Parts: sequence; C-alpha cells; structure tokens
Amino acid sequence: MMHKPKIPVHDTSLLKSRLRSDIRRDYLLYVMLIPGLIYVLMFKYAPMFGVSIAFRDYSIFRGFSDAPFVGMDNFIKLFSRSAFIRALKNNILISILKLVLGFPFPIILSLMISELYHSGARRFVQTAVILPNFVSWIVINGILYVMFNLSSGAIPGILKSLGYAGEITNIMNQKETFIWVIVFSHIWKGAGMGTVVYLAAIAGIDRNLYEAASIDGAGRLRKMWHITLSSIRPTIVVLLIFRVGEMMYAGFDQIFAISNYLVVSHADIIDTFVYRLGLEQQKFSEAAAAGLFQSAIGLVLVLVTNAIAKKVDSDSGIM
Amino acid sequence: MESKKIRHLRESSLDRFIYIAICFFLAVFCFSTVYPFWHVLMYSISNSKAAMSGGLFFRPRDFDLLAFKMIFKTSQIFVAYKNTILRTLVGTTLSMALSILTAYPLSRKRLRGRSCLSMVFFFTMLFNGGMIPTYLVVQSYGLIDSFWALVLPLAMNAYNMFILRNYFKTVPDSLEESAFIDGANSFTILWKIILPVSAPALAAVTMFYGVYNWNAYLDGVLYINSTGLEILQVYLRKLLASTGTLNSLSGIDGLSEAASLSEESMKMATIAVSILPVLVVYPFIQRFYTSGITAGAVKE
Repeated sequence: MMHKPKIPVHDTSLLKSRLRSDIRRDYLLYVMLIPGLIYVLMFKYAPMFGVSIAFRDYSIFRGFSDAPFVGMDNFIKLFSRSAFIRALKNNILISILKLVLGFPFPIILSLMISELYHSGARRFVQTAVILPNFVSWIVINGILYVMFNLSSGAIPGILKSLGYAGEITNIMNQKETFIWVIVFSHIWKGAGMGTVVYLAAIAGIDRNLYEAASIDGAGRLRKMWHITLSSIRPTIVVLLIFRVGEMMYAGFDQIFAISNYLVVSHADIIDTFVYRLGLEQQKFSEAAAAGLFQSAIGLVLVLVTNAIAKKVDSDSGIM
Repeated sequence: MESKKIRHLRESSLDRFIYIAICFFLAVFCFSTVYPFWHVLMYSISNSKAAMSGGLFFRPRDFDLLAFKMIFKTSQIFVAYKNTILRTLVGTTLSMALSILTAYPLSRKRLRGRSCLSMVFFFTMLFNGGMIPTYLVVQSYGLIDSFWALVLPLAMNAYNMFILRNYFKTVPDSLEESAFIDGANSFTILWKIILPVSAPALAAVTMFYGVYNWNAYLDGVLYINSTGLEILQVYLRKLLASTGTLNSLSGIDGLSEAASLSEESMKMATIAVSILPVLVVYPFIQRFYTSGITAGAVKE
C-alpha cells in the first residue's frame, strides 16, 4: 500500500523518457511530414477558417479583417433568393437520380462482366467501358455535341437516314430532357471505373462455391444472386456510404462543362450557383455561406450514414 | 427420370438465353463507350462538306486533313498543349513527392502520435472550406494568374496519400530494421527499401495524378485569366462554346482554304488532338488503375 503511489510516478517518468527517446529516434519521420502538413494548413485548413466570411460582410475593397460580423444575415439573404432555392432543388433532384439510377449500374455491369467465359473477353470489355473515364468533361461535352446536334450530329443523321419524318430536337438544348443528359452521361462515364472495385471483390470469391451450387442445381441467375452479389455486399455498403456522403455534390466538374444558358434553369446546382454569385458577381460572403451550407450538410451525411452502416453491420463503415 | 431430364434441359436453355442477353447488352454498352471516340477521330479527318450530313462514321468520308492543318496554324494550341504537358509533369512530380513523404511516416506503427496526425489529413476528406474561401486563400498567396495556381491548390489528394500509406503498411518492419542497425536514416530507407517494393501502388497513384492533371480544367477557369497560361482543356472549352470558330482564327494564313472548313470539323480536330495521347496510353495504364483502386479499398 505504501509503495503504491510511487509506482505510477516512476511509470510516467519512464513513459516520458521512452516517448522522448522514441521521438528522438524517429525525428526524421516527423521532418518528412512537414511539407504535407504545411500543404494541408495552407490549402485545406486556411480555407476552412476563411469560411468565417460567410458570417461577415466581406468585400474585396475592405479586406478580411475589416469585414464586420453580421451573424446569419448572409444565410437569410441566401434563402430568400429564388435562384438559390432553385439550385438547391435541382441539386437534390440530380443527386437522387444519380444515386438511384447510377449506383446499381456498375454492380449490374460487374455481375455481367464476371459471367463472361473467356478471360480475354472480360479484359476487353473492362478496357472498353473504362475509356470515357480517361477524358475530361470538356471532351465529353464535345462528344455529346457531335452526337446530338441537329445539323451534323450522329443521332439526328441516323434518324434522317432511317426515314424518320417527325420533329427531331436537340436534347442538349431542351430544359425537360437535359436532366437526363446529366444523369445518363454521368452513369455512362463512371460505369467502367465503378466496376473496378466490384470486379476485384468478385475475383476473390471462392470458385468452389459456384461448383457446389451447380451440383445442387442452381441456375445462372441464382448463382449471381446468392453467391456473387451476397459476397460483394460489404464492398457495396462501403461504396454506398461514400456516395450518400457526396450527395450534396451534384457534379460541378460535369455540369459546368456540359450545361448551357438554354437549360440553366434546370441544370443550375449549388456549385454553379456559388461560382456565379461569388466569382462573377463578387458577392463573396453570400457565396461562401452557400458553400458552407453545402459542406456542413455533406459532413453530417457522411457521419450519419457511417453510423447507420456500423449499426447494421459492425464490419462496415469507413471510420 | 424423364421429367428431371426436361427440367435440366429447360434450365440450361434459360441459362443460355441469359448468357446471350448479357453478351448482347455488354456489346451494346461497349459500342456506346468506344464508338463516340472513333466518331470524333473519323469526323476530324473527313471532308467538312461530306461530314455535314451526320450519321455514323465507321470510316472517314473523303479523307481530308485540312482541319488539322488549320488548327496547327494557330499558335494558341501549342501554348495550351505546352501548359498542359508542363502542369502534368510538374504537378504529378510534386504530388508524388508530397504524398510519399506524408504516407511513409504515417505507415509506421512505431511513430508516436500517428493516429492523431493521420486524422489531420483524413479530416480534409470529410470537410472543406468550399470554392470561395479557397479562391480567396489562393488569391491572398498571390497565385492568381501564375503557373503555380495550377499545381499547388490540389497538390496532394488525401485519398491518394492513404492508398500509398495502406500499401507501405504492408512492408514489414523487419525489412527496414537491418538497414536501421547499419546506420541508414529514414530517408535512405524510404528511397532504397520502401519505394522499390511499392512499385504497383506508386504506378497507380502516379497515374491518378497524371490523368487528373491532364483533364483538370476548373482551376484553369478559376485561377487563370492570361492566355499565355491557358491549358488545353480551357482552350477546348472556349472553342466548343464559340459559334464563330473561324472568325476567332482570323489572322492566320490561307483563309480562303478555311472557308470550306466547317466549325464542326475544327471542333472535332481539336478534340482529337487533345484526346489522342490519352487514347494511346490508356490501355496500358488502365491495369495500374485497377491495382491502385483495389489497394485503396483496404479500410482504415
């Protein structure tokens, strides 16, 4: 009893000296981390602190430190703008369509590719479907143009040569159809990349399972459903979490490249709205407020979906 | 016996039908991903007038390289090409150096404060300041209209860094211990032991950064105003958006020749020039992508 208090004291000093010697031993590892830490501080964390302009009345003439604190004013102004509400609605609609239609597609595609008998055919299909992933959305915009434009496009040309007499419209310039251009070009471009993870997971499935199922009389569809799909379920859950966490980001890269002024009312999303308001109209504070609203909800979405996934299956989740 | 045989036959014919349906669907989808690129190439080497009627291009119509002759008469495409090549080389090199130097310490279990330091990087994947604060920060560093604005703001991608860290983790401590006893420091160990055995992950991440740099355009739109620093994707974007391409090319020789050239042909030729390097290398680098994504799928 009497010696007991002495032991922890002895322990902490031992721990401290061990910590010191460990740090001395690995000091070069800490030196290596310096460039990366400087980078994230300058280009990732500095903007996070800069987000405080969302609560200030910032203008380029006044500078950052002189900008008066205005509380939630920018958010109130923002939500009274019909253009923002419109962008928010488009953002949600586009994200939901991309998730509901786009998330299952690479899974189905992977199941199909893995059914092919010849490994050469599998590799050929994989190489072919991943091609659009390697070009920019600017190039995809050019490709959509040459496919659909009325004067020299591929599809109007085919329709004309088939003797189609009805009116042909350019789906790139129609408000009602443009949302489908966004959703399907997104699915089309990302499908090949999406199959990579699933096909790697499928490659790890024990072949004996299929043989055993065949002997038991299971057909192709039953094997795809009960063996392939159920084996890759953990992978699907992890990727689903990532996708739901990205729901607030409806695809700036894509929509900025392929939309045009004719369809802006149906294609404007939060990011394109922030770009216009902030960098074209110089309303930095309000635009930063819109951006903060977006990333805050994005963070909540990631944390919530991660917690749900962990509750359902303790092995799932990203953190 | 008889009924069992029939059932067996029926099942296998259903299976065969499903197989044919799968093959058909995959063929159609592959056509949809590959054909448009072929179309662009064939259109760009066709005669403008012959190409105007549209439809499918399985081969060029009246082979004609006039569009390429014209776009190479403008100097801006060379400027844009040079800038894109330069940012891809400099950006990829810098990104790799930063990512390797960060990933290696974070991969060592013995490093004190490792999980805390990892969190500093992981958090940037969960939350970001957004476009406007980032723009203002880049502006405050005086980077607007400088080459470094294309390279620095997104120099390190946390996801790519964690792919490398996960791969470095699989290198056993024992491999570096003997070198450590011989008096090698951490930099030597990283260079001589860790990097040589991590080639697949390094190749994959280099490809991620390389393809990203080649195709990125938003930074070119946000941070660059001067035409001297214009990148290929931004040049292409301007060209595709304009409806008076030929007017924008005024000042070049041989405008009488250009008169027979359609705007579409010019656009297709420019797209062709920008995607040709990608089309040539992608079948080879595609497999590195596969190994990289698989390595990245390893959880925390």
